[in-house]
Amino acid sequence: MKNINIIKTLFVSAFMLVGVYGCEKNFLELDPPYTQDAENYFNTEADYQQALIGAYDLLQASFLNVWIGEIASDNSIAGGESVTDTKGLHEIDEMQHGGENNELRSIFRWYYAGVARTNFILEAQDNLDFTSKASVMAQAKFLRGYYYFQLVKFFGDVPLVIDERLGPEGASSKDRSPASEVYAQIEQDLQDAANGLDWIVAEKGRVTKGAALSLLGKVYLYQDKFTDAASTLDQVISSGNYSLVSNYSELFTVAGENGSESVFEIEYSGLEGGGYGCLICLEGNAAPGFHGIRQYTGPVYGDGNSYNLPTQALYDAFAANDLRRDASILDIDAFIAAQANPADITYAVGGGGHTGYYNNKYIKRQGEIGLPDNDLTSPVNYRVIRYADVLLMAAEAHNRNGNDGAALTYLNEVRGRVNMPNINSGGTQLTEDIWNERRLELSGEGHRFFDLVRTGKAATFIEGFQENKHELFPLPQAEIDLAGGNWDQNPSY
Amino acid sequence: MKFKLITLLIFVFSGTIAFSQSTKLSGTVKDETGITMPGVNVKIAGTTVGTTTDMDGKFSFTADVNETSMLNFSFIGFETKEVLIAGRTTFDVVLTTKMESLNEVVVVGYGTSTKKEFTGASGKVMGDKVEKLNIPRMDQALQGQMSGVNISTNSGSPGGSSSIRIRGLSTFGDNDPLILVDGIVYDSEGLNSLNPSDIESINVLKDATAGIYGVRAANGVILIETKKGSLNSKPSLSLDYYYGIQQPSNKLGLLNAKEYAVIKNEMFANGGDNVPFANTELGNGTDWQDAVFENAPMQSVNLNLTGGSKNTRYSIGTSFYTQDGIVGGDKANFTRYNARVNLATDLDDRFTLNSVFLYTHEERAALPENGIGSVLYNTINAFPNVPVKANGTYSYMEEVSDIINPIAQMENIYNDALVDKVVGKEELVFKINDNFTLTNRGSYNYALVDNKVFSPLVWFGAGKAQNSAINANLDPTLVDIGDSTFIERGASVYEARSTYVDLQYEGFLNYEQKFNTHHSVKATLGTSVFRRRGQQLSGTAYNIPNNSEEYADISANLAPGGFLNNTGSFEFEERLLSTFLRAEYNYKFKYMFSTILRRDGSSKFGPNSRYGYFPTFSGAWVLSEEDFYDFAPINFAKLRASFGISGNDQIANFANRALLNGEGVYVFNDVITNGVAIGRSANPDLKWESTQQFNIGVDANVYNIVDVTINYFIKNTSDLLFQPDVSGIIGSYGPGGFPPVINAGDVTNRGFELELGYSTDPKKDFVFNTNFNLTTLKNEVVSTPDGVDFLPGVTFGVGGNVATRFEEGFPIGYFVGLETDGVFQSQEEIDQATVKQEGAKPGDLIYVDQNGDGVISFNDNQDKVMLGSPIPSLTLGSVLNGTYKGFDLSMNLYAALGQEIVRNYERQQPYANQLDYVINRWTGAGTSTEVPAQTTGSTRNTEFSDYYVENGSFLRIRNVQLGYTLPKDFTQRFKVQSMRFYVSGNNLYTFTRYLGYDPDIGANGGPLSAGVDYGFYPQARTFMAGINLKF
Repeated sequence: MKNINIIKTLFVSAFMLVGVYGCEKNFLELDPPYTQDAENYFNTEADYQQALIGAYDLLQASFLNVWIGEIASDNSIAGGESVTDTKGLHEIDEMQHGGENNELRSIFRWYYAGVARTNFILEAQDNLDFTSKASVMAQAKFLRGYYYFQLVKFFGDVPLVIDERLGPEGASSKDRSPASEVYAQIEQDLQDAANGLDWIVAEKGRVTKGAALSLLGKVYLYQDKFTDAASTLDQVISSGNYSLVSNYSELFTVAGENGSESVFEIEYSGLEGGGYGCLICLEGNAAPGFHGIRQYTGPVYGDGNSYNLPTQALYDAFAANDLRRDASILDIDAFIAAQANPADITYAVGGGGHTGYYNNKYIKRQGEIGLPDNDLTSPVNYRVIRYADVLLMAAEAHNRNGNDGAALTYLNEVRGRVNMPNINSGGTQLTEDIWNERRLELSGEGHRFFDLVRTGKAATFIEGFQENKHELFPLPQAEIDLAGGNWDQNPSY
Repeated sequence: MKFKLITLLIFVFSGTIAFSQSTKLSGTVKDETGITMPGVNVKIAGTTVGTTTDMDGKFSFTADVNETSMLNFSFIGFETKEVLIAGRTTFDVVLTTKMESLNEVVVVGYGTSTKKEFTGASGKVMGDKVEKLNIPRMDQALQGQMSGVNISTNSGSPGGSSSIRIRGLSTFGDNDPLILVDGIVYDSEGLNSLNPSDIESINVLKDATAGIYGVRAANGVILIETKKGSLNSKPSLSLDYYYGIQQPSNKLGLLNAKEYAVIKNEMFANGGDNVPFANTELGNGTDWQDAVFENAPMQSVNLNLTGGSKNTRYSIGTSFYTQDGIVGGDKANFTRYNARVNLATDLDDRFTLNSVFLYTHEERAALPENGIGSVLYNTINAFPNVPVKANGTYSYMEEVSDIINPIAQMENIYNDALVDKVVGKEELVFKINDNFTLTNRGSYNYALVDNKVFSPLVWFGAGKAQNSAINANLDPTLVDIGDSTFIERGASVYEARSTYVDLQYEGFLNYEQKFNTHHSVKATLGTSVFRRRGQQLSGTAYNIPNNSEEYADISANLAPGGFLNNTGSFEFEERLLSTFLRAEYNYKFKYMFSTILRRDGSSKFGPNSRYGYFPTFSGAWVLSEEDFYDFAPINFAKLRASFGISGNDQIANFANRALLNGEGVYVFNDVITNGVAIGRSANPDLKWESTQQFNIGVDANVYNIVDVTINYFIKNTSDLLFQPDVSGIIGSYGPGGFPPVINAGDVTNRGFELELGYSTDPKKDFVFNTNFNLTTLKNEVVSTPDGVDFLPGVTFGVGGNVATRFEEGFPIGYFVGLETDGVFQSQEEIDQATVKQEGAKPGDLIYVDQNGDGVISFNDNQDKVMLGSPIPSLTLGSVLNGTYKGFDLSMNLYAALGQEIVRNYERQQPYANQLDYVINRWTGAGTSTEVPAQTTGSTRNTEFSDYYVENGSFLRIRNVQLGYTLPKDFTQRFKVQSMRFYVSGNNLYTFTRYLGYDPDIGANGGPLSAGVDYGFYPQARTFMAGINLKF
């Protein structure tokens, strides 16, 4: 009797436990109610579109690589209030930068944030089929290609994170991938993007097939793959969708945004305020305000922080009759002298350096001023790839392939727009001419340092540049540490 | 060995082997003094056959007996006695009282133990000791009653909460212990609902043996049992009533109007400004404290019916409690109605049904407390030269934007919360046989919380942040709703209704068996399923008619078009699924060993750490049971040790997951377009904070009259939740992005606990007993993760320096700032000083250059040092009771020593009133070396420094009570069993050097705000008179 009871009880208890544990897994699997989180997202087309907007957001980090691309080169100095104001830029200016550099760390963090946001979408690409799927995935791949291109330009070998999200421990399991592998991934992404994108898009700000092909052409050029570069860029040129804007000096105004010359442009708005505490949170372009004339009161321009000041060398590189000189560089004293009441116009010189020149492409202008604090909220878009750049890249690719005829056509199209005489050189002289033309056409747009590095000219032009060292920026030391200390620092740092 | 096995077999089968015959057994049971004992359990040993004695102590029953059968007599509080039947049929038995303290029942979770055999460290307080204090909250009543449990008051307002810290602080997160009322989870925030008069006992599991509750046990476990009846007892009705008057126990020394005018003039002159008072002869002016504080009543009625029939025990209670505030009167009222039914029925001789039902309705009105804008903050800083009212309207203090007239403020606050709470369980206990008991129970905790805040249009003077009207005529603000269309924004009402439902099922099997008389084994195996769900719906409506509370309901909304109204909601759910096993072995009550293993699965944690295993080991050796032990003065001595791992699951729900609350915004077609992005990154490995605790202790009894308990513990908590820098490649640093929450960081608590209990013979005319307890505590943050130097806590003053931190090598929430070294007496002294202190003027505080670089660094951390800690290093509690014939006198003392308090209720603003210590300010060389010169000019004296940190040590007389019980033979003439009158005083006097209202300060805003006084609502001093009647 006793034993039967025990058996009964144990049986009942066991049943109870089995009952409870049978549904245990489901019992503890809870989703946050009425909240979308990363795990239960991507159920509708709109979800993908929303996440894609989040992935575009990091494009707006571009103001910083524009600064560094200029300041690191012979085109400009860091400027600013003092030499300790944004110290990282001054160190880069002096070629004294090392593993502790806030600006380089921001580049690293922001572009990986961009990569992570594209991976978030691409990780879920098989969740759902929907009408705009091809376009969404193509845009996401374009963005990932763009973000990795920035990373590989700055740091060389970087860890490749593809179609996955990393947990906090995930970083230490990632080694740096050789730059060649990173480039291969970028090429793949951009080819996929070009296949899925249209030449013409309804919504201003969306990337296009032209943007993908132009960026792909640039990526080939950075690897000296001249045949691929030429054929890819020729597709853009022969598409007939782009043409040079006749008036060079209007290219960089708000009115000139998304014009016929615009291949890839990053969009900004002046309609949202912001603070210095989170530059990456801005919807405005921080560059024009930072480039602005310090404590300036006067016509045409607005006051700013005197960053990224063009050098005398750059000014002198232009022919006196090259109208691109004054469109690219503001000679402040000459400008003031030419105004109606020069005595009423004042400005201050920052302790971070003064050259007498300001970046006249991206600068705070009256009529293009955003909400307070308007040093941070410029609505001026950043022109990442202009058709002129495409023509010059194509010229370079053809020239290096031995097709000087095509090269000259493209080069002289660019020169002709600003009424500069045709060039008729060939061979390596033509190569030099094209490179020089790139400097003149594209100064102040963040290309110079990387052009000098990829063409092997950096040591010639940049004071303090050490070969086999400064071609790459150092990995932020903190990032090496946080990833478990497994990554080697770039050579000589 | 072989022999033992055979004996064992014989023992097990003896019942079936032996030859038996039916016999009638009867007799009488008496206690040592010869009084007959009703309700004694009498049975044939090893069986369930038996009965209980009747009202005259007699018993009689028939059973099958043989020559080895024994009669077993047992009764609570008495030594169990076994008598060999050996052919006899009548038995007169005398039971002797147990050594009370050692046989005290210890509730250990899913079972009970006794103090004698328990291998862990626990504390116990009987309900009567809690009830006697007449404190409406159980936790406050627990202060000073046992070692290792530190209670500090978060607010002295009626219905205000306390911080319960068992053996220190383990985290900068949630340090609240798990509180179970009859096995039902009861949040510490919800303790207001629990009537202390319903409590029979409070057991606190302090060490690793709390690990039976696994992932919720790291902060300790408090097990509360409600009152129960007993079998075969007549119904007993008790009625308790008291009435009390509360008054402020302390007033701050503030400047009167004349002192104020003189000092303000001096401040303005020192600052190079025009002096504000042409005439300083303003007399005493307004004493704002007198205007704000009032004597406030409180009263309580408590009715309890308890008893039992042959099969059923019951205890039924109801109570009413109401208390006004010494600040705000009925605007700070707390009222509570309780009803309780506790029923236990033996359905048959195997099944018992235990049923508990607790109902509470509570209403609480609250004023802003403990911060800038609180009533007391305004009271302390209000200008003494300004009257409360002038020409029939409340006066303004327009010179300062954030100090308003506290009387006008109280008049315009309507903040009410209503709680209805139903808590209960149904428990079926199946006694399978003598060895196995199966318990199944379902429990629930349902709370409905209604909040209503009415915000009338109000004007406190020009420029006040609290104004809701735009002028003294109470005209409403106009709000632009687009296209230059404006609408009025009038009085508003916010209402919220929240429901919280806990459901729990628990089933466990208890096993108990004795082998070969000396080996006893106990085991518990069980499972627990818990689900908590919370929901809230809230809304705000505007333009309430007549600016009157009378119409304060969302339905009375008159705002056009619903432009202003808004709504909100939330919902959450948590689940816990657990299994647990406890095995105990005891040899001759000499050696005991116990082990616990609990497995918890929780919906709070990531899929990779959803399940945790929490083991505990403990053992004890009763030295005094050894044959060689012959030290007579100590008649009982036990050594204990325990070690175990437990968890703290009080972390945010879904912190392991990545929520889409980042910023994903881009510009398309020139329009700012919102998308989504991950905010905080995911951490699928996220898990509980984990605590390893080691305890070693001694229980002893000296001369049978003094109980001694000593414990030493080391408690290491690891895996604290942090958000340190992570590798950029995870992608956390986009706009609105944050690193994932990770487990890192360690905290350690070490302490020593001593409890002494002494009692004279309770049967004499004069009885005296006392309890004394002492706790030392050393709290230290052992490590923070890479990339986190410290976590900043609260700031000092308005927008001032961070004053508290969580930092490696220091106690949690320690105070950090500059050290002072007197006051500069002259410019010469400043010029000659070896340390450069920027901006120093004669009369300024001298700061200490900690890093020796010759400069005081105000903008970084180089010269900051620890200025104190909010955690007392030593706490002492004592209860003294004496009775002589009908009279009883008791006293309750509590002391906390070694902690500091930040004086953070002074508004550092030119016109704000000040504490009167500034009368002794520096006014020229040699006038003061402590209090700096007062100035409105720029000064570094308002930097957070030790000048604002005070010694917070105190000793408090918490309760003194004198009672008289009328003689029984007199009261029984009126059918009254007992009648007692008493007078009582709570919080009578506090010995302290602290300048503020009350040094017993908890942590209103988390552990890193502990010990920071923002104008804390002090505990009242209360005088009470009451009556206890028993029918």
